[in-house]
Amino acid sequence: MKMYVTLAVLMVLSVYSIAEARVKVTGRGATMNFSAEGIPESYKQIFDLMLVKCIKCHTMERTVIAIQTGKAPITGQPFNKQAVKAYGIKMLRKPNSDMNKKEIRDVVMLLNYLLDESAK
Amino acid sequence: MKFKCEYILASAIIISLVFLSGTSHAIPAFSRANKVECSTCHTIFPELNEYGEAFLKNSYVYIGKGKKASAGIPKAAPAAVEAKPAKPTPAPTADSAVQGAGDPELLIKLKAGKMTSGDIPLTPSAPASLSEADSVNSVTGGEVKPEWIDLAGVPEQLPISFTANLNGSYNRKAVNEFDFSTRALKLNAGGNFKGKAGFFGTYLVYTENAAGITNTGQTPTNMTGKNDIGEFFLIWRHALEIPINIKMGRFQPKLGLWKTNNKLSITNPYATYSYTVGISPFKLEQPQDAVEANMIFANRLFIAGGVVNRKEQNTKDWYIHSSIKFGGADYHANEPEIDLNQEESILDFLTLTIGGYGYVGTNGDPNTVVGMTPRQNDYYRAGADIDLLYKLFRLKLSGVLGNDDNPALTYVQPAVKSYAAAIEGDYTIFRNLIGSLRFEYVDDGVNMYRRFIPAFAYSPMENLRVSAEYKYEYGISRNSTGAAEIDNQIGTLGVTFSF
Repeated sequence: MKMYVTLAVLMVLSVYSIAEARVKVTGRGATMNFSAEGIPESYKQIFDLMLVKCIKCHTMERTVIAIQTGKAPITGQPFNKQAVKAYGIKMLRKPNSDMNKKEIRDVVMLLNYLLDESAK
Repeated sequence: MKFKCEYILASAIIISLVFLSGTSHAIPAFSRANKVECSTCHTIFPELNEYGEAFLKNSYVYIGKGKKASAGIPKAAPAAVEAKPAKPTPAPTADSAVQGAGDPELLIKLKAGKMTSGDIPLTPSAPASLSEADSVNSVTGGEVKPEWIDLAGVPEQLPISFTANLNGSYNRKAVNEFDFSTRALKLNAGGNFKGKAGFFGTYLVYTENAAGITNTGQTPTNMTGKNDIGEFFLIWRHALEIPINIKMGRFQPKLGLWKTNNKLSITNPYATYSYTVGISPFKLEQPQDAVEANMIFANRLFIAGGVVNRKEQNTKDWYIHSSIKFGGADYHANEPEIDLNQEESILDFLTLTIGGYGYVGTNGDPNTVVGMTPRQNDYYRAGADIDLLYKLFRLKLSGVLGNDDNPALTYVQPAVKSYAAAIEGDYTIFRNLIGSLRFEYVDDGVNMYRRFIPAFAYSPMENLRVSAEYKYEYGISRNSTGAAEIDNQIGTLGVTFSF
C-alpha cells in the first residue's frame, strides 16, 4: 500500500515541473506550459494569443524556463524586461510571425507580469 | 527488503522518465553545437537571415555567447547550498611556495582523509555562490560544461555535418533531356574554440562527373569529379584583444554581401559573383588562399580587407569590402530600438544593407621562372550590392564592372571590360515556402546574355528543402568566326538535406 502511495506521489510530481515554480507551470519537456489558473483574468486573452502564436516556431517550454530562471535557455543571457522587449521586437520583425505591434506589446506586458510574479 | 528494492526501482524509472524524456532534433554542426533550430539563422537553408549574417560575422560564435552577463541581473536560481566564506589562510612560506604545498593544515587533513568540501578555500576567482557560478557559466551559454571540455577548448559535439543534393533537370536541347542523376555529397565542419577562434571547412565527398562515360549499361559508382576542399580556414577572433578578426586559409574573399550558397536557388549562382572573362578562371566567389582582416565597427559597419596568394606567383592580389546596415538587427544581432507604444511605421520593418568592394589581381603563367616572360592578366573588379528587407519582401541588387588586360593570355587580345548585374525579389509566402524571381545581365566581352530565373524553395522540415527552378538564358556569343545565338532553357527540381 505504502509503495502505491509513494508511486502515486512520484507520478504527480513527474507531471508537474520539477523546478520550484513561483509561476504555476504544468507539464514537462515539450509540453511544459504556464498554468492557465495562474494567469489573471485581465491577461487571459493575451495568454491565449501567446499559446497560438508563440508555438508556431518554438515550444512554450523555452518561454517557461526563461521566466523561471531569468535566463534565455539557449544563450544563457539574462531574460529580464529589457530582454523581453528585445525578443518582442525580434518577433515583430520576423517574417510570418503573424503578429502586429499591439499583439507584441500585449505579450510583452504578459511576460513582464510573469517575470514580476516569478521574482516574488 | 523486497519492498525497498521495488521502491528504488520504481523511483528510478519515474526519475528517468522525468529527466530523460524529450526528443532530439538531429540537424547539422552549428545547430547541434548551439542547440538551436536551423530557422534561427536561415530563412530556408542555406539562405541566411540577419541573425545568420551576424553569426557569420562573429566568427561562428553564437549571438549572446561569449559576452559577460553584466548588462542585466539574472534572477538567481534557488541556491541549495551557499558556499562558505573564504577561510583565512596563513601566508605561504617560501618553502610552501616552492613545493606548492599551500595550506599545511589542509595537507594534514587531506593525508588523513579527513578533508571535507567545506575545507576547500575559495580563491578570488571562484564564484561566491551558486548563482554567481551560474552567471559565470552563462559566458558559454548557460550550460555547465564538463571541466575537461572547457579546459581543452574542443567543441562538445564533433562539429561535422553533411549536406546532400539530389537534382533532376530538364533541358530541351540536351541529348539526354531528362537528367535525374546529378548529385553531390559535401562534408561541412565549423564552430569555434572557446569563442577565441572560429573555423570552417567544406569537403566535397562526391559529385557527379558525366565525362568519360564509355558504357551506358554500367551503374556509375565511381564517377567523382570533385574538387575536394572548397573552403578551409581559421579565424583568430578579436586578435590581441582588439575587435579585429584575422582569417587565414582557403576561403571566398569577403567581397559581395552574400556568400555563394547564401541564396534560394541551388543551381544558379549570382552572375555578378560567378562570371569569368576569357580563359581566366577568376571569379569573385572563387575560394582563394588568403589572409583577411575584418571587423565590425559601431555595430553597423563591417569592414574587411585581405591579400590573396597564388602558387608560383610573386605578386599578390588585394581586396577590400565595406558594408553598412540601416534598420533591423545590427551585426551583433542586437534588435533595433522600436517603441512598442507607437503605431506601426514602415521604418519598424525596413532593413537596408549597402555594400561595396574592390579586387585587384594578376593571374596567368607562373612569373617565378627565370628567363621566361610570362603571359599574365592584370585585372580588377569593383562592385556594389544592396539588400532591402521589408516584412515578407526581400530585394537584392548586385552590380559589378571589371577590366582584364589579357584574359586570353595572348599578346594580341586587347583589354576587356566586363559588366554584370543581378536583381532578385524574394517573397515569403509561408514560413517554409519562399518564391523568388531573378534577372541577370552579363557582358563579359565575348558573351552578352540575359537570364530570368524564377524559383520556389519549400522546406517541409528545417533540414530538408525542395526547390524548383527554371532558367531562361538568351543572348549572343561573339567570337572570331562571328556571332552565335545563346538560348538555354533548363528546369531543375532538386532536393537538399543536411544531417
